[in-house]
Amino acid sequence: MTDTTMNNTTTAEDKPILEVRDLRVNFASEAGTVRAVRGVNFDLYRGKTLGIVGESGSGKSVTSMAIMGLLDKNAHVEGSIRFRGDELLTKTDKEMSVLRGDRIAMVFQDPLSALTPVFSIGQQLEEALVIHNPKMTKEQIAKRSIELLKLVGIPNAEERLKAYPHQFSGGMRQRVVIAMAIANNPDVIICDEPTTALDVTIQAQVLEVLQRAQQETGAAVIFITHDLGVIAGIADDIIVMYAGRPVEKADVDTVFSQPVMPYTMGLLGAVPRPDRAKSSRLVPIPGAPMNLVNMPKGCPFAPRCPLATDVCRQSEPDLLPVEGREGQLAACHRVREIVGKGLTFRDIYSVGESVTSKFAGIPREDRQVVLDVKHLKKTFPLTAGGFLRRKVGEVHAVDDVTLDVREGETVALVGESGSGKSTTLLEIMEFKQPESGEISVLGQRVEKRMSRETRRQLHSKVQYIFQDPMSSLDPRLPIYDILAEPLKVQKMSKEQINDRIRDLMALVELNPDQVDRFPTQFSGGQRQRIAIARALAVNPKLVLLDEPVSALDVSIQAGVINLLEDLQNKLGVAYLFVAHNLSVIRHISNRIAVMYLGRIVEIGSNHDVFETPLHPYTEALLSAVPVPDPKIERTRQRIVLQGELPSPSESFSGCPFASRCPKFSTLSKEQQARCLGEAPVLEVKSGSADHLAACHFA
Amino acid sequence: MSEMAAETKDLGLNQDIANEGEPTVVVTRPSQGGDAQSDFKRTSRMTLYVRRFLRRPSAVFGMVIFIILVLFALLGDKISPWRYDEPDFTALAQAPSADHWLGTTIGGSDMYAMIVRGLGRSLLVGVISSVLIMIISALIGTTIAFFEGVVEKVGMWLLDMLLVIPSFLLVAMIVRSSSGTSGWLWLTIGITAFGWIGYARVIRTLTMSLRELDYIRAAKFMGVSSFRIIVRHLVPNLGSVLIINTVLGVVSAVNQETALSFLGLGIKAPDTSLGTLLMNGQSSVLTAPWILLFPSAVLILLTFSVQLIGDGLRDAIDPYSRSAGKAE
Amino acid sequence: MIKYIIKRLVNYVIMLFVAISMTYFLASAFMDPRSNYMARNPRPPEASIDRSLDLANINDKTSVFVRYFNWLKGIVTEWDWGLSPDQEPVGPAVASRISASVQLVTISTILSIIIGVSLGVYTAIRQYKWQDRALNALSTLFLVTPAAVLGLLIVLGAIAINNATGTRIFYVTGLHSYEGGNIGLSILDFLQHIILPTLVLTAIGYVNYHLTQRTYLLDTMNADYVRTARAKGLTLNQAIRKHALRTSLIPTTTNIAFSIASIFTGAVITETVFAINGLGRYFVTTINDNDINGAVCIAAFSGVCTLAGALLADILAAWLDPRIRLN
Repeated sequence: MTDTTMNNTTTAEDKPILEVRDLRVNFASEAGTVRAVRGVNFDLYRGKTLGIVGESGSGKSVTSMAIMGLLDKNAHVEGSIRFRGDELLTKTDKEMSVLRGDRIAMVFQDPLSALTPVFSIGQQLEEALVIHNPKMTKEQIAKRSIELLKLVGIPNAEERLKAYPHQFSGGMRQRVVIAMAIANNPDVIICDEPTTALDVTIQAQVLEVLQRAQQETGAAVIFITHDLGVIAGIADDIIVMYAGRPVEKADVDTVFSQPVMPYTMGLLGAVPRPDRAKSSRLVPIPGAPMNLVNMPKGCPFAPRCPLATDVCRQSEPDLLPVEGREGQLAACHRVREIVGKGLTFRDIYSVGESVTSKFAGIPREDRQVVLDVKHLKKTFPLTAGGFLRRKVGEVHAVDDVTLDVREGETVALVGESGSGKSTTLLEIMEFKQPESGEISVLGQRVEKRMSRETRRQLHSKVQYIFQDPMSSLDPRLPIYDILAEPLKVQKMSKEQINDRIRDLMALVELNPDQVDRFPTQFSGGQRQRIAIARALAVNPKLVLLDEPVSALDVSIQAGVINLLEDLQNKLGVAYLFVAHNLSVIRHISNRIAVMYLGRIVEIGSNHDVFETPLHPYTEALLSAVPVPDPKIERTRQRIVLQGELPSPSESFSGCPFASRCPKFSTLSKEQQARCLGEAPVLEVKSGSADHLAACHFA
Repeated sequence: MSEMAAETKDLGLNQDIANEGEPTVVVTRPSQGGDAQSDFKRTSRMTLYVRRFLRRPSAVFGMVIFIILVLFALLGDKISPWRYDEPDFTALAQAPSADHWLGTTIGGSDMYAMIVRGLGRSLLVGVISSVLIMIISALIGTTIAFFEGVVEKVGMWLLDMLLVIPSFLLVAMIVRSSSGTSGWLWLTIGITAFGWIGYARVIRTLTMSLRELDYIRAAKFMGVSSFRIIVRHLVPNLGSVLIINTVLGVVSAVNQETALSFLGLGIKAPDTSLGTLLMNGQSSVLTAPWILLFPSAVLILLTFSVQLIGDGLRDAIDPYSRSAGKAE
Repeated sequence: MIKYIIKRLVNYVIMLFVAISMTYFLASAFMDPRSNYMARNPRPPEASIDRSLDLANINDKTSVFVRYFNWLKGIVTEWDWGLSPDQEPVGPAVASRISASVQLVTISTILSIIIGVSLGVYTAIRQYKWQDRALNALSTLFLVTPAAVLGLLIVLGAIAINNATGTRIFYVTGLHSYEGGNIGLSILDFLQHIILPTLVLTAIGYVNYHLTQRTYLLDTMNADYVRTARAKGLTLNQAIRKHALRTSLIPTTTNIAFSIASIFTGAVITETVFAINGLGRYFVTTINDNDINGAVCIAAFSGVCTLAGALLADILAAWLDPRIRLN
């Protein structure tokens, strides 16, 4: 009785704007029906942000596409989605198009492909306005377009309206997409991994724009991401999805501080923290996500859950309120026990023993130099797109880079895309005399003319691991042949190769009996293990790693990072590690070199760089990294860099960072003149002798 | 014209190459992380291809027709009393009858025997030149693309240069001087000599996208020799495209053979091909239409069936095909 | 900017030069004008054969390099492309046939493009529906049918219609037969001649545009930006029409430019079937007559067409696609 009276008196504001009930989506596939979404329920309120977290295949994106009515034709949708009480699933494409872009808008993941290449930004914005307001005059459209671009922080809005998408960077394009999404003051904005394709500093800018857009429109936001750091800062409530279903649902603080479902705990525990020094090994969730075709009965997480019992394997738990916790829901048979005993992540997952390093205790100076790079330069000709393909300038991809890597240590190169970190790796790996500067491996200088034998030896000392294990293994070769390839180059006999491959499989914790299988028969994490085994096959002294874990799901990442650490400690191999994920860098590396526009702007030990950054760019970069802790995210002050990475073809007489430097504006006229006129040199600035920075006023 | 068609038609296959790394169960991409140890239901690539191919009635139909035609070309002369090179001078330009099942030509040759022979010749020329074209174009195309820099620049310039003059004209010049009995050989050589160029360009484009793939770079970084990379990694990964192109190449080779022979430039009497039969038939369109109609029908059956097989293969190998059916 | 266009033109001229020279040597190696005289009955004396061959600069007793040099000199100094074995200048002979070829192919090319592109769009939007399947099957049939078969079957059909109606509706040879001064009748006469070859050429020509346009549109239809357009509030059909179609027409346009070359020489079979004195038929004549200079001249002409098409394709692409538009 009281319930109904309550309902009658609720105002419009208290009513959910969007109600999703028992949403189910199936797709047909060769292997059978894929049950991509299996019963999603939630209510969305104006002005609130709902975060949906999950790994790939958890059904989070499919859910958002179902709300938009943009699913492929071969999708079969059941359940109910009500917008202001109005059922959406029964609407035709034409009826949905009235709502789409007007009341419900969407921001997609990949800004590079989200805009039509042959129309100008202005035309595309105009379309978003006119389709819902056919009566708008030219002046109104122009005025509103400029207003929108200004709102999302695009300078020179009037001029930029005439520009085409390819003239914009990824971050700028994402701003345009956001501008189109908020053009008609929608009630709901769905953001599907809107910052995943962007650099951290740009991510910080875009998140700010999104928050401003929400304030401006008062819309409800559904924010979908796999990044726990991002979600901690932006969401009010969180749904954690696994295998097509929500497994935990609560407000953001509860999810981060008192998770109940073992999957949520595992997810939170598997992520390295950017704000804390490494204290222990990461804890991976064992196994790999579930295949959504022919799912076995029981809880889909049961095969990976340390707490799983027979009940878990027999029936799938429903998402139910957790006793004693306000507003928290979880889908777990053992929830009572977990809450009752106050079990945490540490209690549930076992933390492995780490291996002590071969070189533990030997100071850095006494270790052998494995790689020595001095004043390395690499330029690319810049050609104008277009049918004449003429050269219009030069890109200084790597500009005077000097660094060394010693035995058994991990040196990390960090920086935004375009900073030249990957190019540096590739230049080393080419084993060609560089354009300028020199590269030496274990004292052997890389020269223009080297004998075949010298080259072969270099190949045995330095190996490479790629970002994406899907593409770095030839799909047509069985694992045995893949692992044998580097060994054959080193002219090993058949028996030696046989033995070595067995050892290698064991080394990377894979079953040696599986060498006859093909790469497609392994999961992403396993494939990366195979790639690691291949790189270590010839006992290299140095391994170059280009974003080795960024293509992997969060729950898998931890296992691979642990493996890399263990192998380094066991074998004494040195890593030169490129990553954009500063949390991973913080966890794994000993030394860090921060790159900006092809130059190293700061280099030093892990501790020095993270705790006492010298260069303003490093400071900004570190502060842009989202921390998976809502309390910290709410309170901390973020340095948001203005503007974008300058064009790499630009040449600077002074500091290349001056145009974006937060410190620059605080300097006096004379000091500013020095920044613009004199290029800073990498030099010792503070107490530590091996902590260098390239800044006049650090 | 034929090169153009080949180049544009194959654009769709780029995706296939780029996605070779994907698991075979393509639509389940979100969940490819099945544990190798677990009882993950997996369909092998071959089974998948065969299953998809068989799902297309048109492809199966094409296959059946093609097999019948091949058998006909191989064994057809066993059941007829007439030979293609022994005219029956008592029956000139006769309509089909019990004696001459498909009638006779103006010169008294038995049409049935002529068609069996002609079909054999057309098949021989078509299949041999298509296979040769694919081998040559695969090697040259991958080589040009793999060795970047000067080799690629010079190679591409030469390919472009060779494409300036329409190949049909050049082939016609070469086969001009052939004699009657070796005509089919010259025709094969001619079609091959100028037919590979367009395909080599297509394969170069595909290889360019392949060579950027990490597993090729990985092999380079491990110090694997260039020749080994081409033979062991590049060519096998172009395999599906090469197979499809070879099958569809038969159609264009048969078409070229027909065109040249029809113009009197290819296979000449006493030997015969379907094109030559068409040329003979042209002069008596009104008086003896069967001379024209029967070879035409066989030609269309041949090219159409091969095309259906090729399309079926393309759909079977193309992971983006939407022939997956609808969810219930 | 102009400098770069000139650079490209220079490259094309060199390419053309090498290609034509190659063709010249190839033709000289494989074609045997002497056999024309040897086959005559009575056979002319050898000295007289040599004299005739020398006049046309095609005597195989002269070194091929000397002949090549003479031939080249004639072209460069006097724009003289040489003589046929019958001592007829080949340049004017080629020029006089261009007009017939243009008359023959213009209508069918335009029809092919319109029909092909429209069908491509129509079927792409209805992918895997019965309309798509039926039209695809039809196009595949035309794709695989040899031009000669198609041409001859149409001739057969036309004659049957003529016979059935008792009047000569369709002419199956040539382009003109009316000699009078009445413009209306003259046009009617032309139409009666052109309709059958146009039918053949269109049937062969449209298929390529249909199948490629369908592929291009299908590729762009699934692009992210089409999804963005739908998210803005366009219906699926609006999004395809406005966004996917526009992008997918760019490669088709360059295809059209590229096909210029085949327009002139791609009609060999049709010209033969319908006895039209265009370039294609002239080419067959030169081959059969061992007319080295004539064959090379036609090859050169189509080479120029190919490169003109390539250049046009580049310019069109730059014009249509802002990503490669010149600033």
